[in-house]
Amino acid sequence: MSDRRREPQRTEDPVLSVRDLVVEFATSDGVLRAVDGVSFDLYPGETLGVVGESGSGKTVSALSILGLLPRPAGSIAGGEIIFEGRDLTRLSKAEMRKIRGGQIGMVFQDPMTSLNPVLRVGFQIAETIKVHMPNLGADRVRMQGIDLLSSVRVSNPEQRYEEFPHQYSGGMRQRAMIAIATANQPKVLIADEPTTALDVTIQAQVLESLQNARAKTNASMIIITHDLGIIAEMADRVIVMYGGRIVETGDVRSIFASSSHPYTLGLLESLPRLEVDVDRLTPISGQPPSLVNLPSGCPFHPRCQLSAGREVCRTVRPDLIDSASGSMSACHFQEEMPEEPRRMAALRHSPDREAT
Amino acid sequence: MTSAEPILEVEGLVKHFPIRQGLLNREVGQVQAVAGISFEISPGETLGLVGESGCGKSTTGRVILRLLDATAGSIRFKGRDITDLSRREMRPIRSEMQIIFQDPYASLNPRMTVEEIVAEPLRIAGRSRSVIEERVGELLERVGLDPSRRHRYPREFSGGQRQRVGVARALALGPDVLILDEPVSALDVSIQAQVINLLTDLQAEFGLAFLFIAHDLAVVRHISDRVAVMYLGRIVEIASRDDIYLRATHPYTQGLLSAIPVADPSLRGTRTQVAVKGDVADPANPPSGCRFRTRCFKVQPECEDVDPPLVPFGAEGQMTACLFPEVMNVLAISGSERHGEAE
Repeated sequence: MSDRRREPQRTEDPVLSVRDLVVEFATSDGVLRAVDGVSFDLYPGETLGVVGESGSGKTVSALSILGLLPRPAGSIAGGEIIFEGRDLTRLSKAEMRKIRGGQIGMVFQDPMTSLNPVLRVGFQIAETIKVHMPNLGADRVRMQGIDLLSSVRVSNPEQRYEEFPHQYSGGMRQRAMIAIATANQPKVLIADEPTTALDVTIQAQVLESLQNARAKTNASMIIITHDLGIIAEMADRVIVMYGGRIVETGDVRSIFASSSHPYTLGLLESLPRLEVDVDRLTPISGQPPSLVNLPSGCPFHPRCQLSAGREVCRTVRPDLIDSASGSMSACHFQEEMPEEPRRMAALRHSPDREAT
Repeated sequence: MTSAEPILEVEGLVKHFPIRQGLLNREVGQVQAVAGISFEISPGETLGLVGESGCGKSTTGRVILRLLDATAGSIRFKGRDITDLSRREMRPIRSEMQIIFQDPYASLNPRMTVEEIVAEPLRIAGRSRSVIEERVGELLERVGLDPSRRHRYPREFSGGQRQRVGVARALALGPDVLILDEPVSALDVSIQAQVINLLTDLQAEFGLAFLFIAHDLAVVRHISDRVAVMYLGRIVEIASRDDIYLRATHPYTQGLLSAIPVADPSLRGTRTQVAVKGDVADPANPPSGCRFRTRCFKVQPECEDVDPPLVPFGAEGQMTACLFPEVMNVLAISGSERHGEAE
């Protein structure tokens, strides 16, 4: 996992380093491991997409970075999260609170839970600005707040500044959250399913605001989503999670064009395409694993076509190692992966794709 | 697919919901959830009904099945007007036209076993015990569930399996029409594909007609023969699948297609961008003239006054409700042409 030979020209130090993170939850069915040995680096200015289905551990990983695991059930059982030379897993609640909303901004799926419903939006923006610029006069704070709202394209920002969250539409609330998350020029922006509850036209507006806000602050961004389309449009690098582990990680183009893990390829082949007509979808057989009863060896082996029941898949957990395509994959038989998925071939030959 | 007689015909369908307020619960206004829509479905055909939340697509499905009463307009099933049938008169029709909902957890009774759930419509229809017994086993097997698990409860099944239970129940009485209301929206991608394949197989096997209601345009492209796009209670464009996806004429259809992230990073920034600005208008107080004009990139002064009717434009069978329609292939590689600014 520390082998970074194939990471292209990474001369800069990462902004955030997650090392061997293990997160456990105490449940009535016993202790379950929601995240099991996850390591990754986030580099300056990049957007890292984390994709996976329900129960893959993608959201729990984000909550761990933010110190927001639901306690006492959830806890970090191992590993470290290094940010600005400090291990976030060892910080006090008060220290974490300073980092959240300051150097690490966050945008969640449901802004109604992260915006305070009884306080005016302007007040909440001002609060964030004042934490980090306590000497700024009230007028200047207000001006900055209104600027922030207009930078995320909230119309009538002066009027909107005085309104309550319930007076905002869903898309506007999400954009207000982006304004708050980026108010203090964060180093890292974490967006967890930021548009999942929104309609597509509103989603497009919010994603654009998110991208603009990231570019303006030059923050590094982690975007967590189940939507492969959002990953394809937003991310520079991708992490694919399954059963609490990273199964593949690499540059966005190599992940989509030549997946090195059968799960990634399975996800791409099961997806109905907007841009090309596919005769029949190729689903992944079986069900996503239950964390209570995770399969032995490779967690994907019961559903894996490539494994076809081979013993090593059932018994040995594969390490995340370099693959031929330039990504890293946790698969015993990754060299047997097809070089170019059928999907990409179909796409190339589709008459729909001819330029008009 | 183009059989002479449509199996389902909807004409001028309107559904208003009253807005009540105050102590006396007085009616102070109306939400026009469905504001006059017409379409037909042929036997064995899939019509995709797409649009964003609040556009009236789900209400349309419920009104067709008479789970809600229409305010105006008519619904004809196999040539017979069913708009005003009584509950009793509707009962035999319910066996021929069934609905499948999005959330298979909420729509299955948690206190009934899977066998009881699938058997219920058969029981109500008065089938004998032995017939029911056999049919339930057959149905479970057909939808890919292990019949030996028939005595289990819905909670013991995963989301995808629960949706299969819903499909088995809907098929129990051998319907001709299925109304599918966001049937795969709650499922993970890998499971979604399993259920979609099951539905297309069943359609081919039993010659079912589908009204497939969904917000996911990629799923709709995959499954539909024709597609109707709804906005604020109206159909703004209806056409064959390929005409909608490759030759859309209404700015809202174009905007929807342009808004969806495409799962291929090599196409990033290559598509035509058609902005849909702002938020959807209040359905209790829709804009004058064209309902979409407040979000349209090509809005003109006339759009405020004229409510554009759905008229033929573009390909054969294509209809659009826009004063200034133009054919556009939003999905083609265009070098990121841009129409309008998002606000």
